[in-house]
Amino acid sequence: MNYHWNWGIYFQTVQAGEETYLDWLISGLGWTLAVALTAWLIALAMGAVMGTLRTLPGRAPLAIGNAWVEVFRNVPLLVQLFLWFFVVPELLPRDLALWVKQDMPAKEFVTAAICLGLFTSARIAEQVRAGIQSLPRGQRMAALALGFTLPQAYRYVILPMAFRIIIPPLTSEFMNIFKNSSVAFAIGVLELTFQARQMQEDSEQGIETYLAVTVLYFLCAFLANRGMAFIERRTRVPGFIAAGK
Amino acid sequence: MAMIEIRHVFKWYDKFQVLADCSTQVEKGEVVVVCGPSGSGKSTLIKCVNALEPFQQGEIVVDGVSVGASATNLPKLRARVGMVFQHFELFPHMSIVDNLTIGQVKVLGRPRELAREKGLNLLARVGLSAQAEKFPGQLSGGQQQRVAIARALSMDPICMLFDEPTSALDPEMINEVLDVMVELAAEGMTMMVVTHEMGFARKVANRVIFMDGGRIVEDDAKDTFFGNPRSERAQQFLAKILHH
Repeated sequence: MNYHWNWGIYFQTVQAGEETYLDWLISGLGWTLAVALTAWLIALAMGAVMGTLRTLPGRAPLAIGNAWVEVFRNVPLLVQLFLWFFVVPELLPRDLALWVKQDMPAKEFVTAAICLGLFTSARIAEQVRAGIQSLPRGQRMAALALGFTLPQAYRYVILPMAFRIIIPPLTSEFMNIFKNSSVAFAIGVLELTFQARQMQEDSEQGIETYLAVTVLYFLCAFLANRGMAFIERRTRVPGFIAAGK
Repeated sequence: MAMIEIRHVFKWYDKFQVLADCSTQVEKGEVVVVCGPSGSGKSTLIKCVNALEPFQQGEIVVDGVSVGASATNLPKLRARVGMVFQHFELFPHMSIVDNLTIGQVKVLGRPRELAREKGLNLLARVGLSAQAEKFPGQLSGGQQQRVAIARALSMDPICMLFDEPTSALDPEMINEVLDVMVELAAEGMTMMVVTHEMGFARKVANRVIFMDGGRIVEDDAKDTFFGNPRSERAQQFLAKILHH
């Protein structure tokens, strides 16, 4: 292999500027974390709401929840990103559309976070629904019999248990959201993948570049996994799930 | 006026009829035992009393409030009617004392310290003070059911509904739960109890209702029911469960 290795490349300054390539990578990592974590909050909130809707009595909530899941789950993530970025602004009222296109701060970041958040929320909604339905029916009855309203029954009894049950699949989603955030480069978010492409072109050290990026994504997902494992231990209900410990 | 009035209640699951023309009443301070073969509708009937199960026809009135009326504030009504379930249904992610306080705090709006004090008192009453900080999964079935009774009592209910409270328990735990219920009856609590525990019925019931096929077949004073049941179906039932 005729490749010129340069492991010091990270600390060299870029072609046009004062920064080092490491600065680029760190800044990219910062945007990756920002997109992923913002999207995660959106995904958890909307996933909880939509998953809950699919377990309520009556047809309307079920229909809304189902439609939500189907729409966001059946269209590729990258296509959704382009739809949010190029198509949705065109559908807004004129003044709002103008503001979104010209004045909205951090437009690319906001678009990517919303897109990734809603995409992931559909998957979380499925898990929340499954978690709720795995609880004994008597739990809901006991909560209602105590005088809770239905929202109170969900807030204090059903969702706290359902979320504990679905921590393992939620962990996968949390890891996925870091990895999926890489599509944001396609609309110009200066996240890790974007910076990687830029660094590779600028430095012509492709292997070192993508090795570093691989390690950084790996660490994100790995730490996400460890973090969720910590939460799982902290929220474990004594005597409830005997498996494990 | 009776505490619980059940008048001509009918219920269907789609086309399948589960309750047919059920009428009875429970007076204040009365203990009424509901028994019958499985599938006879007794659990369904008792769940209709606090509207955990809807019914399509007839009327149920609890302390003057019509359960089926659309204007009725169901959470408010249910908060006044204690219920104990076959499978206990404690909230597994809360400590025992939290199970006993959450309803008081979130539904009745009691201050937390007051609710906790009341919860601990009730726990002492069912003999489980030592378990206050444990979680439901760490207690035996009998202990859990006693906590469930204490939880229902924490809301100061005007009457209590028991839906087969001992049928999920190991035999050696049944008595500890029945003892609590006997004590409660002795204090004058209005109780409607679905159970097969005929010893309990003999000891504390004022009346016994026997159901079969969604109908109330017998509704007798205790002595009449055990001494001389009118229907053949009840005679067979009694013969089976008293001689095994």
